[in-house]
Amino acid sequence: MKRLTLALVVVLLVSFAASAQQVRIGGHGGSDTIIVEEMIELFVKPALEGTGITVQYEPISDDFQRYIVNALSAGTAPDLFYMDIFWAGSLISSGVVEPLDEYIAKSDVLKAEDFIDTLVDAFTYEGKIYGIPKDFNTLALFYNKDLFDLAGVEYPSNDDTWDTLYEKLEKVAAIDPSIYGLALQPEYARFGALAHAAGFVPIGPDGKTNLSDPAFIEAFKWYTGMAETGVGVMPADISQGWGGGALASEQVAAALEGAWMIGVFKSDAPNMQYGATLLPKNPRTGQRGNLTFTVAWGMNAASANKEAAFKVLEILTSEEVQQWVLERGLAIPSRKALADNPYFLQDSAEAQANRIVFLGASDGNVLPYRFGQYGGEWMDPINQALSAVMSKQATVEEALAEAQAQLDALMGR
Amino acid sequence: MHDLKARRWANVAAIYCFLLLLSVLFMGPFVFAFLSSLKDNPTEWPPSLLVNQLRPANWAASYRLAKQGGGNGFTGGMGPGGSLEFEVTYWTSPDQEPVPPDIVIPKRVQGGAVMALRVTHWAADYVQVADLEEVRREPSADGFLTTYRFRLVNTGDVALDTVPMDLTVPMRQQFVSATLSPNRIERLGRTQSWNNVSAGLLPYVFGNYARVFRENYSVSTGRGLFLLWIRNSVFLAITRVLTTLLFASMAGYALARLDFRGKGAIFAFLLFSMMIPQQVTFISNYLVLRDGVFGLSRLFGMPTLLNTYAGLIISGLVGASSVFIMKQFFERLPASMEESARIDGASTYTVFFRIMLPLAKPPLGALTILTFQGVWNEFFWPLVVITSPADKYPLTIGLLNLQRAYGSATFDWGPILAGTFISALPVIVLFIVFQQYFVEGISFSGTKG
Repeated sequence: MKRLTLALVVVLLVSFAASAQQVRIGGHGGSDTIIVEEMIELFVKPALEGTGITVQYEPISDDFQRYIVNALSAGTAPDLFYMDIFWAGSLISSGVVEPLDEYIAKSDVLKAEDFIDTLVDAFTYEGKIYGIPKDFNTLALFYNKDLFDLAGVEYPSNDDTWDTLYEKLEKVAAIDPSIYGLALQPEYARFGALAHAAGFVPIGPDGKTNLSDPAFIEAFKWYTGMAETGVGVMPADISQGWGGGALASEQVAAALEGAWMIGVFKSDAPNMQYGATLLPKNPRTGQRGNLTFTVAWGMNAASANKEAAFKVLEILTSEEVQQWVLERGLAIPSRKALADNPYFLQDSAEAQANRIVFLGASDGNVLPYRFGQYGGEWMDPINQALSAVMSKQATVEEALAEAQAQLDALMGR
Repeated sequence: MHDLKARRWANVAAIYCFLLLLSVLFMGPFVFAFLSSLKDNPTEWPPSLLVNQLRPANWAASYRLAKQGGGNGFTGGMGPGGSLEFEVTYWTSPDQEPVPPDIVIPKRVQGGAVMALRVTHWAADYVQVADLEEVRREPSADGFLTTYRFRLVNTGDVALDTVPMDLTVPMRQQFVSATLSPNRIERLGRTQSWNNVSAGLLPYVFGNYARVFRENYSVSTGRGLFLLWIRNSVFLAITRVLTTLLFASMAGYALARLDFRGKGAIFAFLLFSMMIPQQVTFISNYLVLRDGVFGLSRLFGMPTLLNTYAGLIISGLVGASSVFIMKQFFERLPASMEESARIDGASTYTVFFRIMLPLAKPPLGALTILTFQGVWNEFFWPLVVITSPADKYPLTIGLLNLQRAYGSATFDWGPILAGTFISALPVIVLFIVFQQYFVEGISFSGTKG
């Protein structure tokens, strides 16, 4: 028995000593798997040669948020992992994400000011940086050139205001009763950009949301008004699941979407002649608004090899990796320096659209796609109000009163 | 007398109609899913039963085009110097002069930017259009039908597996037909677009199925993931079937025929464990696997059993319900058979392996099928235990990965539907072949599974 115990202890010791400097990184499954693994092969492995650090990507097919919360509590989480702006706040406030300021201070290659400010701010809590944005998306106005040509209307441009855009869309919608100007997804994830343009702030300095803000009502009426006049349509009303699908089906002339549309066009409508412009300016404020959707690399606070993990993080967010990602049209880089990349100056619709989405992050009232500690619950009442008004189940006043009551109940808890 | 006969026939007819209705209800979704999995746009609304991929004319054309291009008629491709002939017909109104289509070989690959990383030779760089000419113009109902013919020539010295093509004509000139039906019509009818004109018969008809195998690959090993996932699921299912058969029959025999202290308590414990839902023991099971069954796995050099097949197999060695099925069966066998063997001097092991086990073929068959089906479709537990790399996934988790790859980014439902259909096939085949055992399995246990 004694001998067995001894053997057990030896085995235990050996297995502890053998744990090499392996950095595990966790991210989305699907196409991300191939992209990140390719990145590791091309950039991370050569850079880490001789340091004894190895890297393994762990793709998660399941809902990533659910996975990372469980893995962090079970102590099995990877050293570096994706953090979506939408839910990063709750992870960070529970203390499971390592603040990176110390590492950044020591680093010669990774500097916070090299990244787009709004993105770094989105992962900054109480003055500390918890995540390095890896890429991002904003909304742009994607439009179908054929439909504008058919109507004999000028394409939407960066000079458009809400009013001039409306006029253009109205003419396109007049071509045929089955064709609409704008896809009106009843969601804050689209409509919010317009509310921000008018000057609305989701959660005010007092920690409350005020839907009776004239700015909010102005945007709300403009958006829902298009459904009433038939200039726009809810995607569901033309049996499409979302605005991008409606645009690809050629039933609507324009939609507010992000760079993900490029992939959708490639697979669903490869020959569509599309263009993209910045979102229209609010005529009163003269400002654009936008939402940033971004994912950062965060570090596990319980990681055993943080120094090695940070080295890997440096490489993953380096300029050369981001350039590689950009030039293949895989994602939009978070580094400011890449704004002048020759890729953006190419003539293709794809490069142009990527440039517009890139520019969207630093033009006007740009706010991150996150709502305090409330997450998606904060948007639900507003989404319901949009849907109710556009499907003519409620007036604007009724719907907003109802939404305000729900928000008050949510935020007063 | 005559009246009775008529009524009997009416009864039979009613029963047949009822059965027919039931089979349509059960088979309908299945057939519909299969048809949709072949389509270019599986979510088309309203859905149509006229699938391009099922038209014999397209079968012949896809075979012929690949053959002409110097590839294999069944598997496709365009060889060096290959040349294929294509015809397309448009309708124009009498006041409009038909225009030859603008032919483009685009730089396009299905599966988006990720697949583009893999392409070494783009057809756009090698394939040229030659001899575009009008071959026919005939009056039709209220206008003209004009047919154009052209050739696509591979001018390079490489074999191409994908040759996409787009034809564009002016507004109001309407597409009627082509050698091969286009995969999609875009730009309000102006553009006809083909994914691959030299696809060959099988990749043309089973395009989405081919994509599932081709587009999911592991970067580190370069191997196709979908085949690996199938192999993993088969391995797990067979291993679990073997362990279940062995342990369920041994435990069932012991509980049914041997006398030992605490038998009643063990059986009660077994029954009790059947009553606890999986969700209740899930967290403790996870922690047990994480620590390698109280550290025991360290003896075998594994600090944890998470993310290993060993973990999956050990946590599912045998289910209480399987033991229960076997126990019920052994209890029903006459004791005299065993007694005569013992008189002849057989030990307990001999009795079990030589006498009892051969008699237990029917319940073992039922157990095999139920376990195989259960493991093949198991989703939740493998999802939690197996995390990475993707080479390790069983098929069910692989399908979730497909949904991430196609469903969330591009709404490309074809490959997901095809993958799901493939995963359903083994169980369907199993069901058809071993139908009687399924029924027996139900009668043994009183419940399914």
